[in-house]
Amino acid sequence: MSDLRLAVNAAAPGAGEALTNKLVARKLAFRYGDTQALRDVSIDIPERRVTALIGPSGCGKSTLLRVFNRIYAIYPKQVADGEVLLDGENILGPKYPLSRLRSKIGMVFQKPVPFPMSIYENVAYAIRHHEKLTRSQMDERVEEALQQAALWTEVKDKLKRSALGLSGGQQQRLCIARAIALRPEVLLLDEPTSALDPIATGKIEQLVADLKARYTIVIVTHNMQQAARCSDFTAFMYLGELIEHGITEKMFTNPGKQQTEDYITGRFG
Amino acid sequence: MTEHILKKYDDELQRLTGEILRMGEMAAAQLAAAMDVLERRDSTAARTVIADDHAIDLMEHDVGHDVVRLLALRQPMARDLREILAALRIASDIERIGDYAANAAKRSIALNASPAIAPVPGLAALAHLAGEMLREVLQAYHDRDGERALAVRARDAELDAMYTSLFRELLTYMAEDPRSISSSIHVLFIAKNLERVGDHATNIAENIWFIVHGEPPGAEREKRDFTTGPTR
Repeated sequence: MSDLRLAVNAAAPGAGEALTNKLVARKLAFRYGDTQALRDVSIDIPERRVTALIGPSGCGKSTLLRVFNRIYAIYPKQVADGEVLLDGENILGPKYPLSRLRSKIGMVFQKPVPFPMSIYENVAYAIRHHEKLTRSQMDERVEEALQQAALWTEVKDKLKRSALGLSGGQQQRLCIARAIALRPEVLLLDEPTSALDPIATGKIEQLVADLKARYTIVIVTHNMQQAARCSDFTAFMYLGELIEHGITEKMFTNPGKQQTEDYITGRFG
Repeated sequence: MTEHILKKYDDELQRLTGEILRMGEMAAAQLAAAMDVLERRDSTAARTVIADDHAIDLMEHDVGHDVVRLLALRQPMARDLREILAALRIASDIERIGDYAANAAKRSIALNASPAIAPVPGLAALAHLAGEMLREVLQAYHDRDGERALAVRARDAELDAMYTSLFRELLTYMAEDPRSISSSIHVLFIAKNLERVGDHATNIAENIWFIVHGEPPGAEREKRDFTTGPTR
């Protein structure tokens, strides 16, 4: 039996340890202006597993990711209906503080955007915003985050240098370090490797595999092979609706819905 | 099924399917030819059957090459992946059927070197059923018809029963007339080859089901080849 199959079987409901749902969307709808971007989406995101969101451009996968951390709240005329439960609490409710949400859910975007400051400060900046730490505590936290992001050995001798001097792949791992520096529980990755070469992509995918031991990860990707390689569960979205959601192995070998089959085999359109 | 966005991918998959069907037709023709040369005691024609098996081997090689190419260049998923994986397995089954036909032809030459033995009526019936199962399963592959494939699979028990009966018949001949042992053993091996053709047709049927449904067919099939167990 292949390692992939073992990994996926370990993630399968009913096999091995029982899964706990970390994030749960219930009858989620989202619109901006007159555009309905999400319709009646209900999905369970299991804890410490990787869930991939796939679908053609405009299907709502990035929107769903953004609703999970309420990033839309900074824009007017954007409205979410339904529920998104994080550990059972509705994060869309007015009582759920945004700062608490930000500390629990980290996000990394398609294009690495390091702050124009040193590598060290890129990681320390966000921590400082949330916590008061001594210098040595901060050093430890920065190292911990860079270690977890598999970047430490490459940058430990040049922490004071500008982050803008790092390669694209290193910048993206720095962004992941920045996100995990706050010790979040969920990591949202929005096409994190679409601007990277295959080697840097491989490193990020390995990182995702390592990080799932600690974090619940949701990754949006246009690359189906990437979804197949690094996720335990895959959700296929189309025109703002969740078409099918299941174990990755099943989704890519024998999906239940014709629309999923057509999309993943390149018959769409 | 709708076409791929990349048209060349469809062409390549169709080519693969075409290769399998041509291979299957060649194997069916070889099987029929082997039984024909056996009946006519024609050693020259038998040598042609043996030589022609090489063409089937080459086709299996081509299918293997095309499968590797498709896997590497198209990264197939879902039904496409199953089609390609099944093509590789089916080609291997057909290649084995070709080998059995060639082996039957080879044994017919050995039989021709000995005095003719009394006709074994069960052998023609066995060959007929094995050939029919092969043609049926190729049609099921052509139509991607899972039900038709399962019907072929169900007939394997019938073939097994016929083989068991032939086995006992030949045992009786050998016991009655020890001079017929050498020839009877050749006939027995030919019969065993035909019984194996049914097993490979059954494998192909299971692969067709896998292509269509994404999982192996359920329920263990019935076995009626009792020649390896205690005689009842």
